[in-house]
Amino acid sequence: MKNKALIVAVSEFTTLVRSKGFLVGLIMMPVFMGIAFGVQKFTRNATDIKDRQFVVVDRSGKLFAPLKAAADEWNRAAALATGGVQTQPRFLPAEATFDAGDDQARAQLSDRVKRDEIFAFVEIPADALNPDTKSTISYYSNHPSYRPLPSWIASTLNREILNERFRTASIDRAVVSRLTRRVDLSELGLLARDASGGIKAASRVDRVRTTAIPVGIMMIILFSVLSSAPQLLNSVIEEKMSRISEVLIGSITPYQLMMGKLLGSAAVSVLLAAIYMTGGIATARHFGYGDAIRMADLSWAAVYLPLAVVMFGSIFITIGAACSDLKDAQGMMTPAMLVMMLPWMTWFAIINAPDSPMSVGLSLFPTNAPFLMLLRIAIAPGPPLWQIVLSVVLTAVTAVALVHAAGKIFRTGLLMQGKAATLGEMWKWVRAD
Amino acid sequence: MSYAIRLTDVTKRFNGVAAVEGLTLAVPEGSIYGFIGPNGSGKTTTLRMIMHILLPDQGTIEVLGSADTGAARDRVSYLPEERGLYKKMPVRRLLRYYGQLKGRTIAELDPAIDEWMARLGMQGWDGKKVEALSKGMSQKVQFVAAVISKPSLLILDEPFSGLDPVNAEALKDAVLEMRRRGTTVVFSTHDMGTAEKMCDRIFMIFRGRKVLDGTLDDIQAQYGLDTVRVRTAGGAAVLAGIPDVKAVNDYGQMQEVQLAGDPQGFLQQLLPRTAVYQFEVTRPSLHDIFVRIAKPAEVAPV
Repeated sequence: MKNKALIVAVSEFTTLVRSKGFLVGLIMMPVFMGIAFGVQKFTRNATDIKDRQFVVVDRSGKLFAPLKAAADEWNRAAALATGGVQTQPRFLPAEATFDAGDDQARAQLSDRVKRDEIFAFVEIPADALNPDTKSTISYYSNHPSYRPLPSWIASTLNREILNERFRTASIDRAVVSRLTRRVDLSELGLLARDASGGIKAASRVDRVRTTAIPVGIMMIILFSVLSSAPQLLNSVIEEKMSRISEVLIGSITPYQLMMGKLLGSAAVSVLLAAIYMTGGIATARHFGYGDAIRMADLSWAAVYLPLAVVMFGSIFITIGAACSDLKDAQGMMTPAMLVMMLPWMTWFAIINAPDSPMSVGLSLFPTNAPFLMLLRIAIAPGPPLWQIVLSVVLTAVTAVALVHAAGKIFRTGLLMQGKAATLGEMWKWVRAD
Repeated sequence: MSYAIRLTDVTKRFNGVAAVEGLTLAVPEGSIYGFIGPNGSGKTTTLRMIMHILLPDQGTIEVLGSADTGAARDRVSYLPEERGLYKKMPVRRLLRYYGQLKGRTIAELDPAIDEWMARLGMQGWDGKKVEALSKGMSQKVQFVAAVISKPSLLILDEPFSGLDPVNAEALKDAVLEMRRRGTTVVFSTHDMGTAEKMCDRIFMIFRGRKVLDGTLDDIQAQYGLDTVRVRTAGGAAVLAGIPDVKAVNDYGQMQEVQLAGDPQGFLQQLLPRTAVYQFEVTRPSLHDIFVRIAKPAEVAPV
């Protein structure tokens, strides 16, 4: 006779993988990624090409002409890309004059901006060229989020201001540029020796290898757990609300039922992770990064994934058993989801300093370990082995404790109807024999 | 005589309130046993304890010869009052799942599924999802789920409630077929007519305590020949003021009268008042007995 928990696991697995949600999720993730890449590619060549007319009030008397010349150059070179297709807006400056204290003139220009006659107006102060004063160029517009024009104006005017200052000081700008040229820093890995004792040159640090692939592995595990564990809550609540649990408990023990559910959910996570990992490895190989995905990282992922599903699955089963409907459950679900999302919120800190005390602490914490310790393992040179082993032990102990507590809450909560259990009641159930 | 179920001095409390108290009951093997009682009287709690869904606070329960009710799980099937079916699951997959949880293999289950689906007029529905079924159909699927594992004990909580006469008839025949195959059947019901006609023995629980237990004859004998069914020209109105009348159950065209005295004396008092078309001295019906027990007091919520 088959183990009854296994029968439940097979049923849960089959139900989940046959659900529309699973198939849509499975297909939609690569579809969305494809769409995102496609949109990026499309938008790269099809951006905003609307002319930007703007008024310049140049009180220095020396900057409008070079600005106009630079704009003409921009409009010729940048706005008309290869093949004569316009891909950038043209910048069309027009000069105006009024006194610095003339707010009436500013208001009139503002009205023109509002009427869309011009896009913006710029005031260059009289002392803009004086290196000893701290003057400011003013840019007025009602499109504060539009960056290309103000950025272009700032860089063009500053370049011309510096040129003018150097000329005034009789210093050759070209010489200064040559003398102040930066020396770049090249980030390299370490040299290695091959089997014959020869030295293998160090390779340049590649952000795809050092960051994107480790984060990708962690995200696949996190996504796989997120896709399956919370489903257990819905499954338990459905069984409670439609009294299916009574039929099931008439056939198997609550503990067998719960373990079957956890097992089924773990199988779904493993399937999802396997599919995404396979896709990830194929993509990495396609772009020449096949060697960057190490077998050891995948092996640790295979250890952490079931532990994470059992741990979070127990939490969601507990919530399902303690609540009488989905509305009750949503309130209790928020803290659990926050705990689950903690690795998502902290992985940046781990990437920047994988060995910092905070990274070590976060990655040893049982609910984070399956994701953050895995991330640290995937980032060279990786954490010390004792930290990995400790995180596995802590996670496993937590998972066993949560399964034990969930089993007791599940046993009682499953048949409770009408109201959600309080934390005090749940604690009482956990402590009961 | 061997018993499928034996309850001895069983008590179950919820938050200090006794849902079942000091209940002792023995269900003979191969019988059809009816559980009756007002809503909230403890029927479902008793059934759940027999099914090992709930554990008693006190007393012992023996099911199919085992004091560990959990051990008999695979030989006992249960149909809950509120149908426990997965809405999104196709019927055959659901039936296989429930059957497998009772320790049966798919090879054993499939012929049983085909047989019972045909018997209940549901051929061709096994590929449909449960959500596509009517209430009656769902109820029959739940019944099939309960019987395909060939249980020794079948426990049905309100199996006929909400069914139209055709479906109720089909389910009644199916229950009788199970008994013919040697299965002990226990069911709870609010339909006294069904209990009278189908049950070998009837048990009534009221406020958590046993108030009736025995064959219909035994139960009715306890109440004697104190009931008269009369059909008169004057109807229920002419019964008012007759000293021997203790209670009247008015069915419109006919009245069931519970008497405090001699039926002949009652007839003599009735004749001067109206034309009498029918006068039948009888035992009280189960319905009448139920009402006599349950009506005087309010039913306490459990």
